Amino acid sequence: MRRVMGISLMSLVLCACVTINVYFPAAEAREAAREFVENVIGDEAASPPPATPGDGGMAMRPTRFDPWMLLGIGSAQAQAQPDITIRTPAIQAIQSRMESRFSSVLRAQFDSGALGFGGDGMIVVRDPSRLAIKDRVAVNAAVADDNRDRKAVYREIAVANGHPEWEPQIREVFARQWIASARPGWWYQQGGAWKQK
Amino acid sequence: MPWRILTLLLLALAANPAQARTATARIDAIHAAGVELRDVEVRLHWPAQAGRGELRIQAARIEAPALGYRFARVQWQCPLAPPREGAWRCEGPLQGQGGAPMRLAVDLSPASTDARLSRDGAVLSLQRVAASPDATQLELTRVPLLWAQALLAQAWAGGRLAAGTMEGGIGLHTPGDRPLRVEGQLQLAGLGLESDDGTVALGDVDGAVRFDLRVPADAGMLLALDGEIERGEALFGNAYLALGTTPVAFGLDARQLPGEGWTAPRIEWRDGRSLQASGSAGLGGGGALHQLDLQVHSASLAALPDRYLSGWLGLAGLGGLALQGAAAATLRLDAGELQALDLHLDEVGLADPRGRFRIDGLEGDLRHAATGELDSELRWRGGALYELGFGPIRLPLRNRAGSLELRQPAILEMLGGRLRLENFSLVPPGKDAGLRLGFGLALDALDVGRLSRAFGWPEFGGTLSGNIPSARYADERLQFDGGLSVHLFDGRIDVGALAMERPFGVAPTLSADLSLHGLDLLGITGVFDFGSISGRLHGRIDGLRLVDWTATAFDAELHTEPRRGVRQRISQRAVQDISSVGDASFVGSLQGRLIGLFDDFGYRRIGIGCRLANEVCTMSGLHSAGNGFTIVEGAGMPRLQVVGYNRNVDWPTLLERLAAVASGDVAPVMD
Repeated sequence: MRRVMGISLMSLVLCACVTINVYFPAAEAREAAREFVENVIGDEAASPPPATPGDGGMAMRPTRFDPWMLLGIGSAQAQAQPDITIRTPAIQAIQSRMESRFSSVLRAQFDSGALGFGGDGMIVVRDPSRLAIKDRVAVNAAVADDNRDRKAVYREIAVANGHPEWEPQIREVFARQWIASARPGWWYQQGGAWKQK
Repeated sequence: MPWRILTLLLLALAANPAQARTATARIDAIHAAGVELRDVEVRLHWPAQAGRGELRIQAARIEAPALGYRFARVQWQCPLAPPREGAWRCEGPLQGQGGAPMRLAVDLSPASTDARLSRDGAVLSLQRVAASPDATQLELTRVPLLWAQALLAQAWAGGRLAAGTMEGGIGLHTPGDRPLRVEGQLQLAGLGLESDDGTVALGDVDGAVRFDLRVPADAGMLLALDGEIERGEALFGNAYLALGTTPVAFGLDARQLPGEGWTAPRIEWRDGRSLQASGSAGLGGGGALHQLDLQVHSASLAALPDRYLSGWLGLAGLGGLALQGAAAATLRLDAGELQALDLHLDEVGLADPRGRFRIDGLEGDLRHAATGELDSELRWRGGALYELGFGPIRLPLRNRAGSLELRQPAILEMLGGRLRLENFSLVPPGKDAGLRLGFGLALDALDVGRLSRAFGWPEFGGTLSGNIPSARYADERLQFDGGLSVHLFDGRIDVGALAMERPFGVAPTLSADLSLHGLDLLGITGVFDFGSISGRLHGRIDGLRLVDWTATAFDAELHTEPRRGVRQRISQRAVQDISSVGDASFVGSLQGRLIGLFDDFGYRRIGIGCRLANEVCTMSGLHSAGNGFTIVEGAGMPRLQVVGYNRNVDWPTLLERLAAVASGDVAPVMD
């Protein structure tokens, strides 16, 4: 019994020793998600998306051009490393693809109520009967493409920030952001039930 | 019966023709030809001295329960003239609760009943002959399919007819001792149909059907249906059918089971060379496919993606897939699960429109069963994966309890070498897991030169060999055990910890650890047009991660190691190139500007490190030198030293500079 106790105590001590608390930068993740989502959903009006730098976007800062840099002179200063970055070429490429898909296909279906944001950061075909049959096939394919992109984005953001294990948290943060950024009248899922914003 | 009622009423009125009279008959229920009328009031009003009277018939309810029709508070009013040769004729508006008004004309005679119901160009005429009271003949002209909604709801509660018209003849047989029978031939135009949940939909279907429906009083319906579809589109779950140009013939025998489900012992589908299918099926209460036995044959697969597969392909991200060749399959589903699949392919070609893969001359058999052992073999003539072409393969397969294995190793010729595939096992996606794939891979002398040509890299010669005893694919991740070895530039690069994510999906990623052994720098600098450096390069690139074939992270450390008999020289141009790339300056006994006086320099060591993360490369060198780091440590006279000062370099900028160096766009800069 004492032996068992001893081993238990030992393992407890060991466990205590190897416990590593990794802080998930929730606020930064929220900010990154907000920026990504707003960029994808964009402006409802025909006005182009805000291209002004320095609106708090750590990830969307356009690459600075410094002619001296090309000549090996001057400082290729490193960006202060943010806690959550979405500024990798892969994520940016996916974002712009999602952006054009959203404005060309998906937005109209969010407006019509055929699509909704799921509670898991994905898009759900909520009410296919609102679509003509041919559109239904195209929208289904676009939703499948978009959900593949989303899955890749959540994964890549976690990996790009050096913490693949953050993927579920990133997905959660994004899921909340898609809903928060949804325009009035759009549908979203909460606790399994559909609600209209 | 109606004829008799009218005659009786008229006889009652005939008593005194000089006064205005009204006769009313109230009848609790009338049963005729499967139709029941309740609380009927027949009122005949005949003004004094008038040549015609006014007939009004009201019914609280009219029901045809077997066909699913129910109407409430129906009223029909029409002017009635005295019968001519014993036949009554009356025509007037018909109004039911909640319905649009129609026009009903009735001819009643002792021998026959004719009725004509019309609205907006749609005409439904009915004829019954007294001699055969059990048979009613209906003729339809441009009748909206919506009128058949109640009948459809009897067979399928969740189905809604949305649009279209029908034209043709229907026979209604209502013998007292046998089941009600409806048979006929209809031309359908613009049929639109939709299930409540939106999973099944038909749109703009033009075609013709012949049907025979029996509705026994105490059992489910029996249906025999044959027809042709000229054009139209249909959606069943994720399957989307777009039919047109050539008509499709179909046939179906079906029986409704107690508890809402259906069984279809005969299903036929004849779509020319594209698809011929026959079999049987069983549907559960909710319309879900429970059981299916199907033989499918396609003499030409080319039209299949457009006509039948676009829904599935779109979901899989394979929209636009080009198919050719011929195929036949038999498949069996039980309890909604695939039990057996027997696929025969003949000269099949597959090509991804985005150029991710291509397979030519795929043929042979694939047999799959949920239980037991089955052998089959597939072969292909060649193909390509991205830019990499490959040769023929023979895949001797064995199905073992639902998983698919290779009976013998398969050899594939690729990039001038050989690739040996063994211990292959594939578990198809099931209820609780996606596709799982495992295999071992041995690479023998693949030509790196061809590989680099295929990817548009600078061309360098070498061979790629290695052994990956086990690779596993699950959850979109491909994990390799073991390692590869690339023989390049008279040295070796070992590749370990190789893994891929989403190999065919969005932003495919590849990660690996590389270690470099004794690479000939002269060869490397020659290929990359980077001045010229002689010596041997060693080092490692750990945690390399390519996303979309672009490096996003690694931790690299490269250095030279002296080797007996190898001179260590660096050319003036290489020094300048290193400087412009590494943002370095020259330090040493020599003024930077004097460098131009010499063609090359001896060096003792070169070392450079880059840790890429977050688009920033953190640079390091052989060792620290003041607030910089030494990249090149010179030897002999003139003694050269290259020191970098900028530890954090923007990675895209670095790549730009490298590209500029390779294209010779960089002017030397002297401090």
